[in-house]
Amino acid sequence: MTQTVAAVSDITTRGYAQPDVLVSTQWVEDNRNNPKVRLLESNEDVLLYETGHIPGAVKIDWVTDLNDPLLRDYVTRDRFERLLRSKGINQDTTIVFYGDKNNWWATYAFWVFKLFGVENVRILDGGRLRWAEEGRELVTAIPTYPEGNIKVRERDDSAIRAFRSQVELHVQRNGKLVDVRSPEEYRGERLHMPEYPNEGALRGGHIPGAKSIPWGRAITAETHTFKPASELRTLYESENGLQKTDDVVAYCRIGERSSHTWFVLTYLLGFKNVKNYDGSWTEWGNLVRAPIEKP
Amino acid sequence: MDRETRLAWLVDHYHRPRFRGALPDADARVPGGNPGCGDVITMYLKDGVVGWEGVGCTLSQAAASILAERVNHEKLTFEAILEMPPEAMIELLGRDIAESRPGCALLALGTLKGAVKTVEMNRKLKAAGHTDQQIQALRRAITAQGEESGVVVGDGAEKAAQGALPS
Repeated sequence: MTQTVAAVSDITTRGYAQPDVLVSTQWVEDNRNNPKVRLLESNEDVLLYETGHIPGAVKIDWVTDLNDPLLRDYVTRDRFERLLRSKGINQDTTIVFYGDKNNWWATYAFWVFKLFGVENVRILDGGRLRWAEEGRELVTAIPTYPEGNIKVRERDDSAIRAFRSQVELHVQRNGKLVDVRSPEEYRGERLHMPEYPNEGALRGGHIPGAKSIPWGRAITAETHTFKPASELRTLYESENGLQKTDDVVAYCRIGERSSHTWFVLTYLLGFKNVKNYDGSWTEWGNLVRAPIEKP
Repeated sequence: MDRETRLAWLVDHYHRPRFRGALPDADARVPGGNPGCGDVITMYLKDGVVGWEGVGCTLSQAAASILAERVNHEKLTFEAILEMPPEAMIELLGRDIAESRPGCALLALGTLKGAVKTVEMNRKLKAAGHTDQQIQALRRAITAQGEESGVVVGDGAEKAAQGALPS
């Protein structure tokens, strides 16, 4: 039984460049027993999946599953392939990500999957919150699936990932940069609590020339779904001067929130060359002599 | 405790938080925030008893509940609280779970230590002859000084953490 919540328009009517990359909650409801569909929940909240998840969904943890345990980098091809197979993913499986924080972590996992060339990946529009607010079923039973057979290529970072040296060059060329953190982070007002591990940076501010466009502005607050393309164009193009043909680098603190903006620009607005700088502020804000603007 | 049991224990603390709630006339009320993901914990101390309020992820809220229960049941002294290393909190919550989210796991402990230090400092200031009003003014000055240097403590922590949420 679903509850009455704010209605959302059909995904195909919103004018997205690639509308097929999104699926609705009803689509998931209709397909959650489809053996060729695998639901993957990816959250910031490490225990949220255990409190309840969409029936049939399995968990992908961005720290323990996707990050190399030693290097600041993503896992190797072999490890990634084993991970996907352990979730019962086959070559012809349609993967649907969803998660907390309006899909912030779902798009991050989506981006990592794209680094490995996994093609058939989608996002549940509205994420976990939309599903829950519609009163749809959440369960605690953890499903198991037979080992999958997917084969994954070597990771290719060239198209959608930016490294520090590339960002430095991008700044020198006055390239377009989007800082998707909160305005407080952009302005350099950072938090450091006594006895609290400093996961941040030694300096506050933003990369010179970056526009402040918090990632959450791409979301309709009442429904948790992505805004229509017309509103997104107003935000990114009219208000902030980005163009589809621009080389754009998006960043945040560690590259998770900026993966959301990377997703929006690439798949919903059809930008051709957007890179996610996952080193982000935890790298830039600690670099000796890195240029910083702080309004 | 095996992993499944520990997960159930953490989720139970999240759903049925212990010692949650503001303490009236507290000796200290200290908020702490995590700007990375928006967790907020406010710790209260009254005559050595801990109470707390908060919003945020399952682990941060469960950790606050578990910590408050431990301090109150074992009647831990201020000295014992201040000496509790972050590693002990990670072990208490389960290294396999907490180690990947240290900010969430340690927010309650860091904030509680801040509350203990606040109480101790207030005692020293009172012993030195300062009135409650003067102490409040000193606290405001310290907070303002922190903000200027990019360090946010006290009430500003809540705002900073809320800034991590979609605006």
